Amino acid sequence: MENNQRRKGAVRVEPTPKRDAKVHRGAEHHHLNIADKGRSYVRHNIEVARQSYYSLLSQPLTTFMTLAVLAIALALPGALYTGLKNLQQLGDSWEGDPRVALYLKLSVTDAEAETLSRKLLLRDDVAASELITAQQGMLEFQAMSGFGDVFSFLDSNPLPAVVMVMPRDLSVASVPLLQAKLQALPQVDEAIVDMEWVQRLVAFVLLAERLVWVLTALFIMAVLLVVGNTIRLSIESRRDEIIIAKLVGATDAYVRRPFLYDGVWFGLAGGVSAWFLIQFSLFWLNGPVEQLVGLYHSQFELTGLGFVETILLLIISILLGLAGAWLAVGRHLREIQPQ
Amino acid sequence: MISFDNVTKRYPNGYDALSQVNFSLARGEMAFLTGHSGAGKSTLLKLLMLMERPSNGRVLMGDQDLARLSNRQIPYHRRRVGVVFQNHQLLFDRSVFENIVLPLRICGFDPVDAARRARAALDKVGLLDKEKLNPVVLSGGEQQRVGIARAIVHKPQVLLADEPTGNLDPKLSEEVMRLFQQFNQVGTTVLIASHDLSLIARMPHRVITLNQGRLMTDGK
Repeated sequence: MENNQRRKGAVRVEPTPKRDAKVHRGAEHHHLNIADKGRSYVRHNIEVARQSYYSLLSQPLTTFMTLAVLAIALALPGALYTGLKNLQQLGDSWEGDPRVALYLKLSVTDAEAETLSRKLLLRDDVAASELITAQQGMLEFQAMSGFGDVFSFLDSNPLPAVVMVMPRDLSVASVPLLQAKLQALPQVDEAIVDMEWVQRLVAFVLLAERLVWVLTALFIMAVLLVVGNTIRLSIESRRDEIIIAKLVGATDAYVRRPFLYDGVWFGLAGGVSAWFLIQFSLFWLNGPVEQLVGLYHSQFELTGLGFVETILLLIISILLGLAGAWLAVGRHLREIQPQ
Repeated sequence: MISFDNVTKRYPNGYDALSQVNFSLARGEMAFLTGHSGAGKSTLLKLLMLMERPSNGRVLMGDQDLARLSNRQIPYHRRRVGVVFQNHQLLFDRSVFENIVLPLRICGFDPVDAARRARAALDKVGLLDKEKLNPVVLSGGEQQRVGIARAIVHKPQVLLADEPTGNLDPKLSEEVMRLFQQFNQVGTTVLIASHDLSLIARMPHRVITLNQGRLMTDGK
């Protein structure tokens, strides 16, 4: 028989024994070994993935609507996260480390200022100090502000020398303490901690972070519901097929598989669409942001999703699609039983 | 091959579909199961398919006590059984060939091997030239033959049929019965539920009669 030839890729079949016409035998039952089962599992997965892909393409309108909702639901948390990341970066680029700026009295000479700066370095509670002389201050002001000409109208440099002090202990409680001590020094006109707005920014970012998490949780639920509902409809429309498959011995896993792949494809396609939405929005925002940042003389640059974040977005999207499908399948496949 | 040991099936509403049924079918035997509608024929077949479980008693297939099979094992049990339905249960969204190859796909056969087996099954029921058609364009008799091909394509040990000639005229019915006889001749155990008494009378097989859930007569 043909069975005996080992055809490439064919399942090995027990050779048919010589038939004894007198004796009734049971029909030969063919057993598949474990390797065959493994191969058939992989083959079925590939096949189902392909069929699921094409079946989604065969209903372009439904698929597009679902994908649009998914893309938006995935893009919003993604965009918020990107925005947050940029805000944090903004805080970092202006440096969150609090420094105490000591504005010295105008009567203090450069030499005295230099001595003070050195003395401050010796203190236990000071990590570093840096003197910006009145002359340096003026040059910096001219370079940064664009109002360089102003000084030519003045007889003398109106700027005081400044000593920037970096506290050793950066905690919120101790910095003001140091500030008060330094304020008491005779040479110091005013000691200012230049951290308030950074603190505010940090607090704002923390709040925004929470907000992003809450919204993310809500959008995740939306994604699960959208995928779940789409899969539910798909299960309903394939009811006959499910019943027949179960009747001829399909396992739950077999019946479930096409729907899970639907979920995976929805997740992947939704994730890719979301990525494009985010990157496009950032690209669109980039011009105005650059203009705004230019006004603040900052090096800040709007950054989109990096490679790792993109991969993460896609993985999360796929997992959400899969989870949504799993929820729908778990609920509805149990109800469909042959009667 | 099939053995019912004092089997009772009581539905939740208190209705006894089967009560204290005892019979057994030897390996390679062919038998008809008959009785009025509502006599419990379908219930009996459902118990064999594990679509229902008995309230009392034991159902055995081969040496397997079906009560011991968990829900997870049901699919593997069903792969040992081929079933032909009165309403064919074909899928009209795919070709005849795709309908028949489905059980093989589910069992995990290699596609090349599965295609060969599906064509062999189609050949047996005489529909090899219709493999590419959609079953919806076939006549009732042809649809039933597709259903039979699907039931035997994976060479089950047991072939069950629920009113396989229900919608067919006498000539087609006889043809279908001859097919069942052929499968029986190669060793498959066959149990056919039917109330077509005149047809059954012309066949030299054992007849099991149910009446209101009880076994009335058994034999030929």
